[in-house]
Amino acid sequence: MARLITVALRLLIWLLLSADITLINFLIGLLVAVLLPMGRRSRPLPPQQLLASLFSSLTAIPQAYVEAIQLLLGGKALEERLESQRFMGPRSALLVFLEVFRVTITPLTIALGIEPGGRAFRVHRLAPPLPPRQVLPGGEL
Amino acid sequence: MNTTFVKTLLEPVSGLLLLAGLVLWFAGTWPLLGRRSFLHKLHYLGIADTLGSALMLLGLLLRLNREWPLLLLALLSLVVWNTIFGYVLASCS
Repeated sequence: MARLITVALRLLIWLLLSADITLINFLIGLLVAVLLPMGRRSRPLPPQQLLASLFSSLTAIPQAYVEAIQLLLGGKALEERLESQRFMGPRSALLVFLEVFRVTITPLTIALGIEPGGRAFRVHRLAPPLPPRQVLPGGEL
Repeated sequence: MNTTFVKTLLEPVSGLLLLAGLVLWFAGTWPLLGRRSFLHKLHYLGIADTLGSALMLLGLLLRLNREWPLLLLALLSLVVWNTIFGYVLASCS
């Protein structure tokens, strides 16, 4: 599955770069995409999980513009906070990439890296200040 | 379809997108000059370099639609590259 996605992505880049969808160019692109070395095998990827992750990454783009306006208009009132967020599904390389993309493209949150245990990643968030004596649901670092 | 009609419709939309991108560029870059923390500035930089530039490329896509494959490729790589570069900068901090 991950292999198929890699080949499809390489083929797409080839076709966009050459701007030519004749059969011969398509075949050359397919050949190049298959022959280029692949990354090491990652864990198997359930298609449902992949679709859900892809969907939430795509919906993060309009969400990013909403957050950009929030940050530009009310950025002074927001405070910095470190949180830890659990991975939604199994830790396949593609899912981790999509998750990091989803968190980092929205201007109010930035992914900082994976925690030593590997089960969650650190997120730097700009958010309205919490009322005193309230504990975060995700657990503060 | 009347091409001049499409052109007169697309031109202002494209201009608006370019202008909005420029506004996001300046609004996101200005806080870099302040005294806030590195990560705080990185949040603002995301607005300028990813979201602002993406709007500009969309504007160009409407204006120079004969070049759409290259502009689409630029848009895709810009969104993915800038986002992941932001992540790399953040995780190195």
